[in-house]
Amino acid sequence: MSAPARSRENHRVRRWLRALGGVAAGITLAALGMLAVVLLLNAGRSPDAGISASSGLVSALAGTLWLALLTAVIAVPVGVGAAVYLEEYAPRTRAWRFLASVLTNLAGVPPVVYGIAGLALFVRGMGLGPSILAGGLTLAVLTVPRVVASVRRALASVPESLRWNALGLGATRWQVVRDQVLRAAAPDIVRGCSAALLRAVGAAAPLLIIGAAGFTTFAPASPGDPLTALPTQTFAWTARPQAGFPALAAGASVTLLFVMALIGLVLWDLRRRHGEARR
Amino acid sequence: MSARDEGTRTAGDGAVPVLSAEGLTVRFGEKTALSDVSIEIPRGSTVSIIGPAGSGKTTLLRSFNRMNEVIPGSSQAGTIRFAGGDLHSAAMDPAEVRRRIGMVFEDAALFPGSVFDNLAFGLQARGEEGDLHGIAEVALQAVGLWSEDAEILETRASDLSAEERRRMCIARTLALEPDVLLVDEPTSTLDPAAAARVESLIHAFRDDYTIVFATCDHTQAGRLSDLTAYLDSGRLLEYGPTQTLFTNPRNPRTEFYLTGRLQ
Repeated sequence: MSAPARSRENHRVRRWLRALGGVAAGITLAALGMLAVVLLLNAGRSPDAGISASSGLVSALAGTLWLALLTAVIAVPVGVGAAVYLEEYAPRTRAWRFLASVLTNLAGVPPVVYGIAGLALFVRGMGLGPSILAGGLTLAVLTVPRVVASVRRALASVPESLRWNALGLGATRWQVVRDQVLRAAAPDIVRGCSAALLRAVGAAAPLLIIGAAGFTTFAPASPGDPLTALPTQTFAWTARPQAGFPALAAGASVTLLFVMALIGLVLWDLRRRHGEARR
Repeated sequence: MSARDEGTRTAGDGAVPVLSAEGLTVRFGEKTALSDVSIEIPRGSTVSIIGPAGSGKTTLLRSFNRMNEVIPGSSQAGTIRFAGGDLHSAAMDPAEVRRRIGMVFEDAALFPGSVFDNLAFGLQARGEEGDLHGIAEVALQAVGLWSEDAEILETRASDLSAEERRRMCIARTLALEPDVLLVDEPTSTLDPAAAARVESLIHAFRDDYTIVFATCDHTQAGRLSDLTAYLDSGRLLEYGPTQTLFTNPRNPRTEFYLTGRLQ
């Protein structure tokens, strides 16, 4: 088969796979969405102390959205900035190797450990208490090394010749990084940040340690409000003996999946429009 | 012109060299890429650098526009003068040097985006506020990529053929109106017909630019250049008028290389 014909064939196969994936994702998303809506409508607004029938998800859902937002606005700029510095600017000294390996290892530290650190640092040390803000900061600290790792990989995969060609046209290092390297790496950067962010949104352990509430009477409206989130709410409900709560826990986990799928979809769209179209 | 046609112009024959290296030694870590190279590039001449792979051709080209210093672990001794001034003096901005001594790399990476994006990048980097489309048009005309409908500007660079890519990369450099054009392997990775066309393009630039190019194809050096430098293991073994070097090389190693004999 000639090269163009093979490329056309690949293209066709890819299109089919993409359509298939789209249909599967659509059905899953629709089913999850229906379940989540039913749960939100049928149940009360907030998780109740002991009565399953009046327990709902609104506050946990709001908590998770707050946490996702806080984590994203803190961890993405810090992580991308650190990765750009490490890959594009910092001289490869012994200190560089040390710092790089510390960051790599931090990405592998279990979330529970970040929970302990968050409890000591943000909840007690800074006196934030078990608030949304303390939770968001903890998740951000947990996410930064993962963002750094994936962005560094993305930058390292940009061929060196692209930097040379850009420098050779009389651009400064920063112009090269901003206009060419980051643009070329954009799809991989968004993909890596999305994965890191979604893992933070789904994390329960660190939030349980810093003291997520299993029972709230109102939805958090600001970062200072008590910490609550879908994963921790799911966990709290599974621990209750009364009838009805296991079903609520199942519903909460389905809702969590739905929210993560939605966030993933938004990020995928961002990548599609701003990253891959530019290639 | 007559001097060029007769191929008798020698390095430093009266003309003020636009570029000159003296005692140039370049190392990458422990490895010495160039050792004690002294060479003068007369203004308006076309100079080829030939030699086996790994002989330092690319390194010599890159020394002329300060591109070696972006490689971690590189170090340099000796001086390079450009238009009379020290290329590494504090007054010389490396970005400005690279605009005035433009380079077309062998591995000519495309920038993401359209052909226009590729041409505009260098112009925007120098803060050009004029008519970017106009400048791009002139540069694309010079390399034979322009058509009346201006469609080429919106074409994605990655959709171009290998030959068109090479032409676009030359246009990218020309758009900055450099004094000197450095071209590394002008026709590598091109099929013979495309190589011949790109070569004739370079030939057409001989009157307008001082050109220094590196090539593995010494017949190309013979066709294009006034002066030829033969590099071997980082040393400049011979430098002189192309015709003399090809017909009557002084150094036996040059002759071995040119005739393809094993040593």
